[in-house]
Amino acid sequence: MTVVSASGLSMRYGRTLALADVAFTLADGVTGLLGPNGAGKTTLLRIVATALVPDRGELTVLGVDPRSESGRLAVRRRLGYLPQDPGFHPGFTAFEFVDYVAILKEQTDRRARHEEVRRVLAAVGLANQRGQKIRALSGGMRQRVALAAALVGDPDLLILDEPTVGLDPEQRLRFREVVAELGEGRSVLLSTHQTEEAMALCQRVIVLDRGTVRFEGAPADLAALARGRVWTTESRVVGALASWRDGTGRYRHVGAPPPGAELLEPTVEDGYLLLVDATAHQGVLA
Amino acid sequence: MTAAEWHLPDGELRRYGEGTLVPPQLWSTEAHLAACAYCRERLAAAAEPQMTAAGWVRLDAELDAPVPGPVERLLVRAGVAEHTARLLAATPVLRLSWLVAVASTLALAALLANLADPVVFLAVAPLLPVGGVALSFGHRVDPTYEITVVAPIHTFRLLLLRCVAVLSTTTVLSAAATLALPDLGLTALGWFLPALALTLLTLAFMARLGPVLAAVLVGLGWVVLVTSTLGAGSGGSSPFVPVGQLALALAGALGALVLARMHRAFETPRRFR
Repeated sequence: MTVVSASGLSMRYGRTLALADVAFTLADGVTGLLGPNGAGKTTLLRIVATALVPDRGELTVLGVDPRSESGRLAVRRRLGYLPQDPGFHPGFTAFEFVDYVAILKEQTDRRARHEEVRRVLAAVGLANQRGQKIRALSGGMRQRVALAAALVGDPDLLILDEPTVGLDPEQRLRFREVVAELGEGRSVLLSTHQTEEAMALCQRVIVLDRGTVRFEGAPADLAALARGRVWTTESRVVGALASWRDGTGRYRHVGAPPPGAELLEPTVEDGYLLLVDATAHQGVLA
Repeated sequence: MTAAEWHLPDGELRRYGEGTLVPPQLWSTEAHLAACAYCRERLAAAAEPQMTAAGWVRLDAELDAPVPGPVERLLVRAGVAEHTARLLAATPVLRLSWLVAVASTLALAALLANLADPVVFLAVAPLLPVGGVALSFGHRVDPTYEITVVAPIHTFRLLLLRCVAVLSTTTVLSAAATLALPDLGLTALGWFLPALALTLLTLAFMARLGPVLAAVLVGLGWVVLVTSTLGAGSGGSSPFVPVGQLALALAGALGALVLARMHRAFETPRRFR
């Protein structure tokens, strides 16, 4: 089922073109929006989340056009949104903050709302921390509080903007477990610039670079883009798009391999690097 | 009868059992039930077993819920719905630091008014709610702004709620500061209509210009008006004489009219930079 459908989305901030004719579709499950910093990921997520109106283009979210006031309201009632930098009111506990967001989501009956707050805090593993002040929680726990707030009302579409930035590996793992669980039975769109996150979580990925969609498909298909373009050598070589020394001490290269090169099985990261770097090195993929 | 001997009235106990009690009476009833075995027995005897079981579940949930802060409790006791009280408690400028800043500014203005010219107080007091309104809602001042704008709640309703809270708070503080100007008589209240008018004009401009620019423009306009009319009229600056007050009241009414016509503009997403 198509949850989000976009075509020709464009957005400009002054002289900067943030999005240029972006088109994509979003179905059930977890979709990753991959791209480097400044690629336009946050702008795109804000548009889908109805926080911004694009300059041009067509958009349908959960079967509704969010350009009208009634359309936006219909989308917002079925949407959960975790912004890149979720702010918290100083002095609120985890419970109070999620309760506040539940009120913003039109839940005015105190008892039902409190039950919902307890449910979503338990869903993100914070049942025992609900009475703690947010400022006393770790970065990972704060992020989970914000996720709990996004989950209020059991939304059909969950939008997460770089949810694991700033978290340590253990916190990232815990967060991924929660998101993977949430992805069952609803649509999740999450932005990240970490390819391992996309591999770990996403059934589909969209690669956005400089405001344009460079790829849309399964992670395996993104990796396949680099088939025959990843090779290894004992020593450094020049001419590759990207080269680095891996854990074995050998050099791994992405780009156009020389004749007779020892080719490697590509990963999602290889495909992503090839796509993003290809934007800067036009013709390599041709 | 001592507090320890007091027990819940039958009617209140029955309404609690039926689940029809609402805060703040609900909170005090539950606090008493948690501490009074006698009333718990009365509740068990008076209610159906299913109703009692549901009551215990509710009591358990209530005892587990965090106790609202002093501002929220005060608002609920004043008759504000508990969910509205929580929305108001999250108003960025309704913090102790803001209230202290407002009180300090008013105290200084009152002191200068006594030492130099009463116009100082009359000119400064109307600017405080304008500043408060500007800092109540917006991308740079509300930490939860982005979450709020994508929530189904009407932005205009939330903005108005916060503005009423800011205006009420600054009005009470300004009225208290007015007591430090006993020689001025009723002229000391000359700040009230300008405060109301400037706040309404700020809100009217806010739909198109955003909170900060709207407040800066209105504030600058006010400063220019006051300084350009210094010495005019019998009570000092002309905005504070009856004709000036009437003109400001009309300006406020105009602002309210524009606001009523443009309230849908607040529901349109704004750019973040």
